[in-house]
Amino acid sequence: MTTANQSANLGALERYRNNFLKEVEANVEEGHMVKMCMQCGVCAGSCPFGPHWEHSPQKIFMMIRAGKRDEVLGSDSMFMCTSCYNCMVRCPRELPITHIMHGLANYAHRLGIAPKGQPTREFATLFWNNAIKKGRVNELTLTLRHYFRGGLVSGIKEAMAMQSIGLGLFLAKRLNPMEIFGGHGVKDLKGFHAIIAKAKEIEDRKKGFTA
Amino acid sequence: MTASIATNQTILVVGGGISGMTAALEAAECGKQVILVEKAPVLGGRTARLYRYFPKMCHPTCGLEINLRRLKQNRNVRLMTMTEVTAVSGSRGNYEVTLKVAPRFVNENCTACGKCAEAVSAEVPNPWNYGLDKMKAAYLPHNMAYPQRYVIDPSIVGTPEGEKAKAACPVGAVDLDMKEESVTLQVGAVIWATGWRPYDANKIQPYGYDRFPNVITSLEFERLADPQGPTGGKILRPGDGKEAKNIAFIQCAGSRDENHLRHCSRICCMASLKQTQYVREAYGDSGKSTIYYIDIRAIDRFEDFYQMVQKDATVSFVKSKVAKIVENTENGNPILHGVDTEGYHRYATEHDLVVLAVGMEPEITGVKLPDDIILDSSNFIEGSKDGGMFGAGSAASPLDVNRSVQSATAASLHAIQVIRKTASTEAA
Amino acid sequence: MADNKFAAYICSGCGIGDAMKVPQLEAIAKKEGKMAIVKSHPFLCNAEGVQMIRDDIANEAVTHVCIGACSRRAKTEAFQFEGVAMSRANLREGVLWVVAAGKDHDEVRQEMAADYIRMGCAEVKKMTPPAGNTKESSSKRILVVGGGMSGMTAALEIAAAGYEAVLVEKTGALGGMAAQLWKRQPFKEPYAAAQETGVAEMAAKIAANPKIKLHLNTTIAETSGAPGRFAVKLAQESGAVSEETVGAIVQATGFTTYDMAKLPELGGGQPNVVDQAGLEALAMATKGGAIKRADGKEVKSVVFVQCAGQRDETGTHLSYCSGHCCGTSIKQATYFKDQNPEIDTVVMYQDLRVPGMGEDFYRSAQERGVIFTKGKASTVTGGDSCNVTFKDLILDEESTIATDLVVLATGQVPNAGVDLEAWNPVVTAAEGGNEEAKIQRDAMRTTSVLKLNYRQGPDVPQFKHGFADSHFICFPYETRRTGIYAAGPVRRPMDILQATDDATGAALKAIQAVENAAVGRAAHPRSGDLSFPTARLEGCTQCKRCTVECPFGAIDEDEKRFPVFNEERCRRCGTCMGACPVRVISFENYSCDTVGSQVKAVEVPDEDEEKPRILVLACENDAYPALDMAGMARINYSAFVRVIPVRCLGSVNTIWITDALNAGYDGVMMMGCKKGDEYQCHFVKGSELAHYRMSKIGDTLTQLGLEPERVQTQEVAITDNARVVKLINDYVAELEKLGPSPMKGFG
Repeated sequence: MTTANQSANLGALERYRNNFLKEVEANVEEGHMVKMCMQCGVCAGSCPFGPHWEHSPQKIFMMIRAGKRDEVLGSDSMFMCTSCYNCMVRCPRELPITHIMHGLANYAHRLGIAPKGQPTREFATLFWNNAIKKGRVNELTLTLRHYFRGGLVSGIKEAMAMQSIGLGLFLAKRLNPMEIFGGHGVKDLKGFHAIIAKAKEIEDRKKGFTA
Repeated sequence: MTASIATNQTILVVGGGISGMTAALEAAECGKQVILVEKAPVLGGRTARLYRYFPKMCHPTCGLEINLRRLKQNRNVRLMTMTEVTAVSGSRGNYEVTLKVAPRFVNENCTACGKCAEAVSAEVPNPWNYGLDKMKAAYLPHNMAYPQRYVIDPSIVGTPEGEKAKAACPVGAVDLDMKEESVTLQVGAVIWATGWRPYDANKIQPYGYDRFPNVITSLEFERLADPQGPTGGKILRPGDGKEAKNIAFIQCAGSRDENHLRHCSRICCMASLKQTQYVREAYGDSGKSTIYYIDIRAIDRFEDFYQMVQKDATVSFVKSKVAKIVENTENGNPILHGVDTEGYHRYATEHDLVVLAVGMEPEITGVKLPDDIILDSSNFIEGSKDGGMFGAGSAASPLDVNRSVQSATAASLHAIQVIRKTASTEAA
Repeated sequence: MADNKFAAYICSGCGIGDAMKVPQLEAIAKKEGKMAIVKSHPFLCNAEGVQMIRDDIANEAVTHVCIGACSRRAKTEAFQFEGVAMSRANLREGVLWVVAAGKDHDEVRQEMAADYIRMGCAEVKKMTPPAGNTKESSSKRILVVGGGMSGMTAALEIAAAGYEAVLVEKTGALGGMAAQLWKRQPFKEPYAAAQETGVAEMAAKIAANPKIKLHLNTTIAETSGAPGRFAVKLAQESGAVSEETVGAIVQATGFTTYDMAKLPELGGGQPNVVDQAGLEALAMATKGGAIKRADGKEVKSVVFVQCAGQRDETGTHLSYCSGHCCGTSIKQATYFKDQNPEIDTVVMYQDLRVPGMGEDFYRSAQERGVIFTKGKASTVTGGDSCNVTFKDLILDEESTIATDLVVLATGQVPNAGVDLEAWNPVVTAAEGGNEEAKIQRDAMRTTSVLKLNYRQGPDVPQFKHGFADSHFICFPYETRRTGIYAAGPVRRPMDILQATDDATGAALKAIQAVENAAVGRAAHPRSGDLSFPTARLEGCTQCKRCTVECPFGAIDEDEKRFPVFNEERCRRCGTCMGACPVRVISFENYSCDTVGSQVKAVEVPDEDEEKPRILVLACENDAYPALDMAGMARINYSAFVRVIPVRCLGSVNTIWITDALNAGYDGVMMMGCKKGDEYQCHFVKGSELAHYRMSKIGDTLTQLGLEPERVQTQEVAITDNARVVKLINDYVAELEKLGPSPMKGFG
């Protein structure tokens, strides 16, 4: 993976030279809308997570135009988006800001230059890996993996802290302890994996990760 | 003024604001016959309700007085108030126009003595002050009203209040039996100077104009600052009647926004810059104005005014489109949330009063435009397919007063060219 | 002409009859006013009342009417009698509504009303209804100076309205600046693509239009005359001279771009740094192909630096914004993008100023990939790779962009000719015999556009920043030289769309001017006024005050230094009348006599009656309406004042002041419009002149043994209805403290 990431990254650098905007337009979902921003800042002010991240959407758009590739792709801000869509509905230029944020996060992740240890990024990875395994999310294993991501001791601590919720979910039949043994998956698991693989292939091709 | 007979040599001007008055007077002073119709009971339109003009800080009523004097002595203009155009047929040079004249319930005998208003106790919201206060249901719209005749609000017609007004009139001017009338006229050319209206601030949900009493529009602020307005010129906020000293101005409230008005309304930056000086006029150094903006569009020599305001220590500028407003429930103060994009500073700032610099949209409600009219995507009038009808002033484009008058003067010449062509064709 | 017959009509309606003794007023009109017919009516402005007056005019040959009713601003439709002189005694807004109600005030109210009747009668007797001065030979042709977009538009619009235009262009071709453009900004939706300028089509239309006479390679050698009869000497490049007679002039002399050599820090003058005009030239050279620099290299990246030498607060460059440049840079950026989308185009701005539908053009350029950076450029170095160093205002950091080409958006500098503020002192010095000043004056004259031979200088007065603009927001075509209208960027910085609109408006005003001149009618703001000033030259002392002080340059001087009134240039403000120390200037219906006789008609009570009399001379444009509105709002002011409306404070002759003081008035207050840089005086300097003249009246007061407080000048706005009352009441209190005028009883 790492080598593929690195080569993709170098490839992108080579292809777009200094023009990071063009790189974003070509590789990031809805990236072609970045240029339409008029720097009003309503997105920045509308984000409920605004105080917790470094770069607001409008600032990221300006950084993209200014060619600040490393800062943008290394930023953790895009990963903080909770898809509340406040920014998007208020944007006077109708930029699909939420989508662009996710697109940027995805692109940085694929290039392997997204910030390490960024919690939402890690969770998203766990979620993805969990979901594609059997075609559906195994809530129990996902939760446990999440709890134990930092090691045994912290995992137990976290699990204990959440035990009453877990019990409640169990009593409400929202949590099946038997799922720990793999749980059930989609009917045609092979077909599902083929679909995912094909989708990845198409996207990689589209976004220049075939190198 | 006299009752001119309309022919295809007559120019119809729709709208009696500054653009319509200008278009009518300029043509009349070239010797042309003009019919000027206005749907309100008085001339003056939006500008007459402004306290001062930028950048000179002079009073709009000063120019209104001159225009009224021009009108009073010019026999080429026939004025019809409380009148709307309901249909236009025919084509360039030969239009048939149908007008609907609403009853004023007061005839030409009125001397504006005011006895009817003294007699009546019923009150109605005062449209001149954008409903910020109430007025008697028998009223003179404002103290420079022309025609200088009272109006009886239809709500008291057929009630004892209406009869009181009638009984009080010493000159038999109150006529409660007046009915709506329809009038048909021949005209050669039409100038649509139907003006603008403020964008509906209720639609800008995050700013809470519908929820927070201390969030008002720039037009309402004009009335608050005006000594002739509902507060006698004191800046008292509607929420609790307290003096507002720390005032926020939010630019592009509805303008430059795909969700609202796509165009830039041009006047709002200058209007807010001007209004900061109302705050200064009221409080001197102890007032405080903050302008939240995207770009300050103070073009040409308006820039001088911008530079002057920038030097005013009571005025600060934040480059930011405000994200949302919440209310401090303890004191009713609006709190503005957003990010200053110049260097990225997050703020949550409390003000006494918020003034939304609302955008301009063409006032086309209630004006039935003929199919022949070409509108742009924001409903501004580009002209007519047959070239015999013209938009003037802010009906044609979001314009300031100076440019509206320019536009109206140009439209006036175009109308003159139309009727001249008709005349020469007929002569040939 | 039949003998004059005077009549007074007094209305007892609106409560006048209840609060005042109308029969006594009638008796005064008859006995003191010497009115042949005096009638009262309970409702003078209704059909019956008006018919009564009309009948007397028709059957009794009444020629002069004094109406004692409401304000002259009210019921104007009713009281309008063709060919009859009329005065209005303001009994309603001026007495009934401002004097406190109740019996206690009956006496002073009646005295006030009686005085207004006396004044109205006195005034009308001195009036003659102006008949106008129709001129058979008045020219209705219109001269358009400048063949750029504004001038071409004006000429075509004038011709389309059926008038003849004479178009003068100093170069060998039409089109001006617009002809130097590759494309122009779009005027209509969809506001996306730059458009053809249309210069060639317009030039062809002009050539084919029989109503337009075109003079290329031509400048103006001299302009004399007045609206309806301007004689314009034209000098061709070849040396040939011709003359045109025209009725009005549209000055569309456009602009020059600000010299970028003055901007060395922004790379002005360095290789590969051009201004917007320079970029147009590069685009023209390839006509839609790849834009190449002067050195032949194809441009792959370009940075537009907005506000170059504009919006300058240091006083070094232009302080204003030229308005069009943001849109122009957007257009120019699309030249590159349309040719090759891969070219990097950056527009560096502080405030992007594209009002109205310009917002669509901005969006369209963004869609095409033009990058907009909010930043302030500090230095530009030209060369093979230009470096633009700037402060990125969004990212809050210093930054540098390397680029092939830099375009500086410099501003518009108006071609308005000679600045009269600089001209006047030079001329004064030259006339005083200063040889150096004479040389300087002649040099300045060569830079004049219109070369007017007016007493007050060769061009139209300039407004801020050298533009030939109007000072009035409501009246953009207000001009200080009647019949001469500026249009396009010479008037205000503007783009082509605005210039086209502006030129059309100016064309209308020029047409109006020739129509007015033909019948002797005044232009704005006293539009329609048929009166005009005449002077009894036998009494004139050639003091030149009238010629110097006329705000409109209407008065020239003949060889003997007598004033020569050019009625068609006159705006009827009466400033000349106010200026004249020997009182030889008057209008038919407004003169030293019409006002002076009112001043004298007032009955001044003796000292022991303790009823001071204060004369208020109120400008009819703003102060008088404010007083009226005080009445409408029923705000009381002292019944000791007597108000006379004047056309402008500039028309106030000091004789009225001295007459009043001699007659025993206790004080005189003048109310005029705001003066100074942001003046609101409709006649430019009237209010200012009044203040100046009154500052000089001190000696006269001292001679009379009077305190200086007895004459006051105030600036009043039309909205000041509450303030005028306070001014009056405070003044009355001040005068009461001062005690009665020592002149009482001597008058």
